[in-house]
Amino acid sequence: MTTTSPADADREVVHAGRPRPRRGISLSDAGPPIALVVIFGVFAVLSPDFRTVSNVQNVLDAAAVLAVVTCGISFVLMMGSIDLSAPGIMGASAIAVALLVANNRNDNDFGLFGVAVAVLLGAALGCLSGLALVVLKVPSFMTTLGVSAVGLGVATLMFAGVQPNVTDPMLEGWAVERFLGLAHLTWIAVACVLVGALVQRYSRLGRYAFAIGGAEEVLGLSGVRVAPYKVAVFTMAGAFYGLAGVLVTSQLGAGLVQAGRGYDFSAITAAVVGGTLLSGGRGGILHSVVGVLLVTVLTNGLVQVGVSPYWQGGVQGLIVVAAVAAAVLPQRRRNQVTK
Amino acid sequence: MSAPVLTTPAPDAVVPGRPTVGQRLTSFMPVIALVVLLAALTVADPGFLTLSSLTAAVRTSAPLVVLAAGATLVVLCGGIDLSIAALCSLATVFFALWLPDLGGLTTFAIIAATGAIGALQGVAHVLFRIPSFIVTLGGMSIFSAIALVISDAGPVRVVDRDATNWLTLYVGGVVPMAFVVALVLVAAVSLVLRLTPLESWIRATGYSESAARLAGAPVDRVKIAAFTVSGACAGLAAVMLVSRNFSGSPTMADNLLLPAVAAIVVGGTAITGGHGSLWRSLAGALVVTLLRVGLPIVGVPSAYEQILYGAIIVAAVALTLDRSKVLIIK
Repeated sequence: MTTTSPADADREVVHAGRPRPRRGISLSDAGPPIALVVIFGVFAVLSPDFRTVSNVQNVLDAAAVLAVVTCGISFVLMMGSIDLSAPGIMGASAIAVALLVANNRNDNDFGLFGVAVAVLLGAALGCLSGLALVVLKVPSFMTTLGVSAVGLGVATLMFAGVQPNVTDPMLEGWAVERFLGLAHLTWIAVACVLVGALVQRYSRLGRYAFAIGGAEEVLGLSGVRVAPYKVAVFTMAGAFYGLAGVLVTSQLGAGLVQAGRGYDFSAITAAVVGGTLLSGGRGGILHSVVGVLLVTVLTNGLVQVGVSPYWQGGVQGLIVVAAVAAAVLPQRRRNQVTK
Repeated sequence: MSAPVLTTPAPDAVVPGRPTVGQRLTSFMPVIALVVLLAALTVADPGFLTLSSLTAAVRTSAPLVVLAAGATLVVLCGGIDLSIAALCSLATVFFALWLPDLGGLTTFAIIAATGAIGALQGVAHVLFRIPSFIVTLGGMSIFSAIALVISDAGPVRVVDRDATNWLTLYVGGVVPMAFVVALVLVAAVSLVLRLTPLESWIRATGYSESAARLAGAPVDRVKIAAFTVSGACAGLAAVMLVSRNFSGSPTMADNLLLPAVAAIVVGGTAITGGHGSLWRSLAGALVVTLLRVGLPIVGVPSAYEQILYGAIIVAAVALTLDRSKVLIIK
């Protein structure tokens, strides 16, 4: 299979497995932002309601939770693994935080400490999937599917039939109070993105996550003990999901077991659309943020144009399949194994 | 343009010798689990081992058996089908909507339609080289969306109960018809696989896809066929669900995904492909159903059911994984 991009024109002998250093901006890096601008423009033309300032604020606020989830999942995808545990972990942390801050079920009023505990619970569950992957050698989509079920079970146990309504003014305020026109939640998400980008760029964890996705064998042969980093990445992803669960609880004012329903798929969609390869080694937090905005703009825009909100999941399904196909097709080889 | 896809070096040829004790044990695992569970439940509640409660348990298990049996074929090829539950839900809605027009033909129409949808996923997987779990994860949300839209996000009542009445009958007054259908399905598919080259093609695809392709097995067509059967089974399971609930609903079967995957892996079908069978999934589905029915009998709150599913999926996959094949677990 020959590729015909200009950068590759000078070597046409074999399809070697090593990329040349990229100069300038390649199409696959520029594609998602261009798509974002185009989609935004199309909806702005189609719908007068879409092109208002308040709607842009809405889009950004609506993107907050998904952005936090996607921060976590991006690191996992960078490693070439997959993570389906977001619904379970978010459910568990949502109920946990609702029960730990001031609420109608018990006398707890731990405030920020409760939030921290919920995030830690998420991290612990994420750590569990990482450990199952590394110790039991179970593929990550299976371990995380299992951990998601465990998280939902834990959430159901804590839920115990009575919905915990949050009365804590701080947590409730996050979703309502605004700073520079955006809800506090959105600023928390921005902080998460910054932290994620810094971890990815400057920490050993982030760089190794990339390297694991690019060539795990090479990393292992170079004497790097890969396993602890894998567990650490899943733990960090779990912490992000935990925080996302807290944010959803703040939005809803109550802890729900289904707090994270569908977020796993939306986050994978966002990351993939943003340019992260499912085979690992490409993409990153900032790519994913573009993906998150794309998904949110699409969701919001379709509703504004008058498409039933029930189609939302279907549209995401279509674009994720299309995006993965678009990313995979150029590298197709005759006897390639796709599982 | 293209980032490298590193091929994993081919592992040394493993000459299959005599199975070790551990392998023998895991190959009987589902049956052992089934017997142990039955014994434990009988000890916990002596009234459990009666004809009526066993009949009820077996009747509940029928849709799960059918779903798991279909998806087993995809797993045998080395892929996974995460869309079965959503497709089944969509099919219940289709059934409820089509029944007034099609009458007695609805069942066949449903199975044909879901089979075609399954084939579509298979084609997308094979043609575009998208990993099967992404295709089916995408399919899952697309089917859910379609089901929500066409049903207006609520249950659709089935007024004409004659069309599904035959599934609620009992063969010989004892064995529920739905379970008999599930058994016949498993037996028929197993027989077809055994009598045709299909079984060796599927196994070869699962054990080593590139080797199978080089050896001339029609890998792509086999995979598409597996997805087609998986889809058709989701349709049949939907008919069974409608026969019990007298309605179609866009979320009716959604909570069957985890039990179905659990049934497949508990049965001992390796998630890496090649090793396993439909009979194993039948045993696995019965184990899962017994767990589901049995937990409240033992006095465990049903919230633990989810945790248990998670734990047994991970544990069963860990036990049955073919480690010689995967050098790097992603």
